Formats: sequence, structure tokens, C-alpha cells
Amino acid sequence: MTKILRPDAVVIGAGPAGLGAALAAREAGLEEIFLLERDFELGGILPQCIHDGFGSIVFDQVLTGPEYAQRFIDKVERSGIEVFLDTMVLELRSDRSLVAVNSRDGVLRMEPGAVVLAMGCRERTRHQVLIPGYRPAGVICAGAAQRYINIEGLMPGRRVVILGSGDIGLIMARRFTLEGAEVEGVYEIMDHPGGLTRNLVQCLHDFDIPLHLSHTVTFIHGRKRVEAVTVAKVNENRKPIPGTERLVECDTLVLSVGLIPENELSKKAGVVLHPATGGPVVDELMETSVEGIFACGNVVCVFDLVDYVTFTAEVAGRGAAEFVQGRRRWRGEVPVRPGRNVRFVVPQRLRCLDREVELYFRVQRPERSVRVRVLVDGRVVHSRKARMVRPPEMVRASIPAGALNEGVREVVVEVTPDEKEA
Amino acid sequence: MSFKARNCQLLPTRAEIVVVGAGVIGCAIARELTRYTPDVLVLDKENDVACGASKANNAEIHSGIGEDPGTLKQKLNVRGNRMYDEFVRGLGVEFKRQGLLIVITPRSAPPELLERMNEEDRRRFFTEVIPRGIVNFGKKAGITGLRILSREEVFEREPNVTREALAGVFDPNYGMVCPYKLTIALVEHAVLNGAKVFLNTEVNGFRVEGGRVRAVITNRGEVETSLVINAAGVFADEVADMAGAGGFRIHPRKGATLLFDRDVTSEYVRSSVAEFRLPGMKKTKSKGGGAMPTVEGNLQLGPTAVEVEDKYDTSISAEEIEEIFERFHYLLPDFPRDAVISAFSGIRAPTYEEDFVIEASDKVFGFVNVAGIQSPGLASAPAIVEMVMGIIKDLGWELEERKDFIPERPAPIKFSELSNEERHRLIMEDPRWGHVVCRCETVTEMEVVNAIHSIIPATDMDGVKRRTRTGMGRCQGSFCGHRVAAILARELGIPVTEVTKSGEGSPIYVGRTKDLLLQNDLRGERLVDEG
Repeated sequence: MTKILRPDAVVIGAGPAGLGAALAAREAGLEEIFLLERDFELGGILPQCIHDGFGSIVFDQVLTGPEYAQRFIDKVERSGIEVFLDTMVLELRSDRSLVAVNSRDGVLRMEPGAVVLAMGCRERTRHQVLIPGYRPAGVICAGAAQRYINIEGLMPGRRVVILGSGDIGLIMARRFTLEGAEVEGVYEIMDHPGGLTRNLVQCLHDFDIPLHLSHTVTFIHGRKRVEAVTVAKVNENRKPIPGTERLVECDTLVLSVGLIPENELSKKAGVVLHPATGGPVVDELMETSVEGIFACGNVVCVFDLVDYVTFTAEVAGRGAAEFVQGRRRWRGEVPVRPGRNVRFVVPQRLRCLDREVELYFRVQRPERSVRVRVLVDGRVVHSRKARMVRPPEMVRASIPAGALNEGVREVVVEVTPDEKEA
Repeated sequence: MSFKARNCQLLPTRAEIVVVGAGVIGCAIARELTRYTPDVLVLDKENDVACGASKANNAEIHSGIGEDPGTLKQKLNVRGNRMYDEFVRGLGVEFKRQGLLIVITPRSAPPELLERMNEEDRRRFFTEVIPRGIVNFGKKAGITGLRILSREEVFEREPNVTREALAGVFDPNYGMVCPYKLTIALVEHAVLNGAKVFLNTEVNGFRVEGGRVRAVITNRGEVETSLVINAAGVFADEVADMAGAGGFRIHPRKGATLLFDRDVTSEYVRSSVAEFRLPGMKKTKSKGGGAMPTVEGNLQLGPTAVEVEDKYDTSISAEEIEEIFERFHYLLPDFPRDAVISAFSGIRAPTYEEDFVIEASDKVFGFVNVAGIQSPGLASAPAIVEMVMGIIKDLGWELEERKDFIPERPAPIKFSELSNEERHRLIMEDPRWGHVVCRCETVTEMEVVNAIHSIIPATDMDGVKRRTRTGMGRCQGSFCGHRVAAILARELGIPVTEVTKSGEGSPIYVGRTKDLLLQNDLRGERLVDEG
């Protein structure tokens, strides 16, 4: 076996999170950085996202996924960061030692100064949402369908039903249509759409694809290949209403029913996960519960915009550098709690207490004319108006530098009705 | 050898013995027959072995405690269980005895019976009378090693069991095996010893002359033979009728099972766990199923038991999912509902008598029915084989053991189970060992290639999946599907658009991008007006 490698930092995953973290760690002065990617190319999911809409915050420009990724890939290639492609991490321990494997080097053993987890997320499958019926070919997750069409150049279906109105589902409705396939409709079990408004307009409305809210697929027909699905209206408890069933002929069912942070390695390393996000509990440096193991991007919680992924990656990369350079100091332990109409907040805890902190959160339910507030021990340190908040859209707020100190007991993030308008 | 070449092979014109059906029973009989003669032909209409009940069951090796006394099922189950270690020896198949914990709860007896008892009687009934009854029942059937457990011992053994548990009985004989890997191993062992397997080969009839079977008629020609073993599972009645050797009916009964993420559930139950119900309380003919860990460590809940019309009805209904959740919510109150990664259904093949039919036909000489093999068929397999061999001897076949019988079937290498040193060595020998195709189950390209070129080759996605576990993890193939399809296409020498999930009619892709646009163009349907 190869000898043990001891780089300053290992970044696991080279999607937008890993690319950003590796570059930030490099800029912060780390010498030897390994970027490990299990696919054959850099960029993660971005190369298959050939639609536009990326980078409006980071670059103040509207880019496609491949364009967004390329900006980072170009930098990585000039940076001296060592890239390992087609490399799969098999083991990660709480002492940060890890085992990876690829076809060139065989089994690689590493004991890096810091680890950044950037494995992204995966799609929820039909069995995780327990759709009854047969198990034929033609039931496919939206991201996988996107990969088939945009990277492999292969069509997974001709007549398509889409379950779930998450962004990937909406984008794939348009993509299938542009490829000459027929999208019969998009069905959403909730009474509100799961994706961003701009995608509802640009992907469904502009192509006359119907969106059926409060509907779900109750049965998949076809023993070999999908032949049809039964759809039905659901009641307020999301249970199908008898008598509302309709048979829809199709050869493909595309699922866009949620994303799950990919934390199998994190668990092996003993990293504590948060029940609401499904990702590691992190502090303002994106450091997890295991010392020297950082996390960023969709492995922490599923973001709606890649720009936010990049921001968290930069924080994690700089944090890893601070840690390796012995500059990272904990001054206390302050929990960040979700308040009214807030489902979760990232980071969940603050330990350095010496800097401005960017907070990301999702609301529990849609609400109009609200005020987003951050309170430090009841004192408002951030407050701004928002016309509308919706669960699919991540909300940002910040704690200004100087607002925190060792004596602080808690930070609360809340969304409240805006009194002035009421 | 390419996919097409394999299908062009000519069916032999003669075989000493023909086994119809390549499920676990057919393959186990074939393997046993090759101890005596290499001239064994196995036929199956599907494109792989283990495509019926053998691929979709609970994988349990029961002890016989759930069977009715006096049945052939109970007799063969008890004996088969004892023979299992020997049965799987040399096959390279994992078999473990995790045991069964029978949990006695207040629901174990009907309320009308309990009403007549005072509190002390009730306590004694649950903690003494029922457990002793189970142990004695076992003893009568020849099942040994049963142990009565107190309530505390139940929790010690299985901490996730309901706090309502009152007592338990532990049956150490229960085991687990991967049923389709076992079937593949058995038939590969048979092939190593000379047997021939023809898949995609449907039996359409038999030539019977003078009360004796003379030939099997298939969609690919006729095979002369004087001995037919009918192990056609759910279709065994139809096959028997074709020869005029029938007289029993198989009525398909579906069983659905939920499978959970291994990472979440590997420690959830250590043994099989089932709730005890006094005889007569059960609504269905099934043993009632339970919770159990597969050999790979995934928690499994089920199966259900639903009578169906269609022998191909492997669907799972909302009611069945609900029923499983409801049933196990009581036994294992905190089971991880969110960690379901798969749900599947299989078709049991019971007769109306609910017992195995293992006998030489009295109407057609040389025709042996091995039918009605529902659960515990997998557990009974070794004893069924033994019984069939006895029947063949009685028919006058001289069975002389071959000296050149190869006792072992080499198991395919599983990368995930190797040490890092072994992994490194393999990768240096062939880089395909270093290319992880399936991230959830850590399956490498080389394992997929090996499966496609194995003795019974995987020819589709499901075939690769059953042999290597690609796509069996929590992402269910979302990440690795296109990679496996590409390897299949490359190794079989076919366009990727011809790769299927499970044989003809189940393509993964419907064409290449722009194909549909081109077709629409030809029909004059332009999406974008370029004028």
C-alpha cells in the first residue's frame, strides 16, 4: 500500500462547495491541499445544469452551471491544489485519517491537518416516498434524468409525468419538452409549489405545462417499463382522496421529491448531524462537532442557490486554514435558535464570537409582509423587511461584527409580521 | 462471449434429466443431480435464474416452528434447517443463524379468552403457559434449542422491542441467506459440474408416449429426455398440466416487504423478531412475517399476504405499506420509518391444500412434481432435494456418485469486504478494481464486468444488481445507473439504448437526445419556428 500522505487539508467532493473551499483554504495560505472527487471531472452537479440562473450574487452575472463551475475550475488549475479524480473516499475517522481509492494510485491513506466535507446531496427516491405499484424501468429521479440527457446524451423517456415541483423537477419539465418529449404535467403533493417562482414561470408557464397542486401519484403501472401512473388529489393530510384517481399514460415518471445531504462519511467520522437539516451541526467557521472537520454546501443543508454554497465553502476553507495554522480560537458556545416561522438556521452554534456571521435559514410556511430579525439575548442586531418568504427559498441574515461576546447566551432568528404594514 | 452469441446457442437435442424452472428449488435439485450425472439441463423462461419467488422473499431460513404439525412442510422445514450449513458449504454464499425472537405481548391471546382469567392467571398464561407451549410444540416437531426468555431477557436481546412485551421464546435455529445469490451459486455449481442452463426458454409442452415422458417441447426446440423435474414455481400447475401430470392448482399469493437503509438499521434488530399469536388468531395463511436483518445488515419488515389473480402481480399496494407500518409500529415502536430504501413483492406458490406437492406423477412415468413450494421453501430446500433424489431412485434411476465432482464453486470477489492491502494489490493488477461504480454499496467496475462474464451472465441492470448490489443502496441507482448501463453495453457489445432493466421491454433509455426532435420534425411538428 502507498505511504501515508499528510497534506494540510483534504477537501472531499469537487462540486461548487469543494472547489470554493479548496480555493479559499489556498488563499488563506495552506500549502498542500488535496481535492478528492469521485466523478471523472470537476464541478459536481453543475456541468449537467446547462440552464442559466447561476451566479447572480457571487458574480453579479447570470451564468449557466458549466460556466459557473468553470470559473472555479480555472482557478483551481492555476492554484497548485492537487486534484484526485475518480477517487472515492471509503473511510473517514474522527482523527481525520482517511482511506480513499482510485484506479491509478490504488488505496490511498491520508492524515490531513484538516478535512472539509463537500459531498453535496442526493435525491430522494420513489421508495423513500413509498409510491405503490410495480418496479419497472422508467422511474427516475430528476437529477439522474438531467445527467442522462445533458451529459450522456440519452433520453430516458418520451411521455413524462413529473412528481414534485422542486426546482430540478421544473427545470427537467422544460428540458424534456425542448428535447421533443411530452410532459403531461407536474404533480405536487403540497398546496404550494416546491420550486422558485422564476422556474415556475420559465419552465412550466412558458411551455403550457400544467402544475397540479395537492396531487400525488398513487400507483405505478407497468411490469417491464412504465405504462401509466395513477394520480389523485390529496386532502389536507396529504392522503389521496378516493374517487379523484385518474390514469395517466406515460413511459416515464420523473421524481423531484426532495434532496438529502449526503453524510455517510460524516457519520463514519462521528460528526453530529442536525435532525432538521440532515447535515452536520456547524459553527460560524463551518466546523463540525469533530475538531478539524469542516463542512460546506449541500452536505450541511440543501441550499436553493449555488451562490450560497460558494459563500459557505469560502467560510469553511478559511476556517480549515485557521485551524491548521493554529489561529482558530473558541471564546464560548452560543446556540443559534430558530424562532417564529423558522425551520432551521445554519450555523447552529457560534464559538469564535469574533466576527460578522452570515446566517442561512428556511421558513416553515409562506408568509407575506414580514420582518426578518436576529436577536442576541433579546437585542435586535439585524432587522429587515421582506415582501414574501417561502419554504423553498433560503433566507439570509447576518450578525454584525462586535455583536457577540463570551457572555451571550443565545441568538434567535425569527420571522414576524411587519407591524408597520398591518 | 456476447449476449447474442449466448442466445444463439443450440438447445441440446437430448438430456438425461431436464429441470423446468431455475428458481432456488430447481437449481438446488440440478446441483444435487450433477453429483451423479453431468447430463442435466435446466430451463427457464426468464432471462436470468431466480426471477420468481427466489428473488423476492424474506430470505429467512425458518426452523419449522411456524408450520402446522403433520404437514410435509413442517417435516421438510425442520430437516432442511438442520442441513443448511452443509447445503451451502463450498458455494461461497453467506449464511448466518441470527435466531428468531418470538415476542409474547398482550395481543398474543384473544381478549375473549383473557376475560375469563384473573390477573395472576393472565400473568402465568403469558409468561409460562404460552412460552412452554411454544417450546413443547417445537420439541414435538423435533426443533431443539428453544429457550424461554423473561421480559427483561427479551429487552436485553432486542432493546427496540415494545415495552408491552411480557415474555419471549428464542429459537436459535433461524438463519438468513441471500436467496438469489444462493440460487446463482447453486446453478453455477451445477454448471461447473456439467449441467447446462438455457434461459429465455419457455416450456410449451411435453411429448408423452405410452405413459412415459419422452421429450420437452420448448420455444427453442425439442429436447428428448426420460426424466423431468417440474420446479416451475408459481407456474408448476400449468407445466404439470401440459404433460397430463397435474391435478393441483397454484393460486398466487403476494407478499410485500419493506427494506431499510443499512447504515440506519444494521443494529436495529440482531435476530429475527416476530410477535406471537395463538393459533386461529391470524387473518391470513402466511406465518405473519417479522422484522429481520438481511445478511447484508438491512432491516426488513414483512411480508404481507394477499391473494392475487395475476401470477405476475409483483406490485405493492398502499394498503400493504400501511399494513406493514401498522403491524410493526406495535412490535418495534420507534422503527425508523424514514429510512425505507426499497419495497418489493414476491409471489408465493401455494396449492389449495397449503402443503408442498413433491411426488412422482402417477399418470406420467418420469415426471416429478416439486410444486406448491411456498415459504418455508427456501429453508426446506436441502430436504426437498433429498426427497426428490429418493423419488428418482424409486423410479429406478441408478445414482452412482461421480468421482470427478467439483466440490466448490468459487465465489465472486466483493471489493467492499476486502482489506485495504488486498484492495491495493487487486488495483495494481487491474485498474478496474479501483474504479468505484456504485458509491452506496462500494461496488467496483471489475465486479460489474465479472458479473457480466460469470457462468450465468448478468445481461441486464437487475442481473448486475442481484450479483453485485449496484443500485441496492440508499440512492437506488440514481448515481450509478448510467455507469452500469454503459459497462453492460460495452461488455455485451450492444448500443447503450438496448440495455434493459429486466429483459425485453424494459429499456433504460428510449433513444439518444435529438432523436425525438428529429422524429417530430419529420412529422412536421416543430417546437421552435426557425423561419
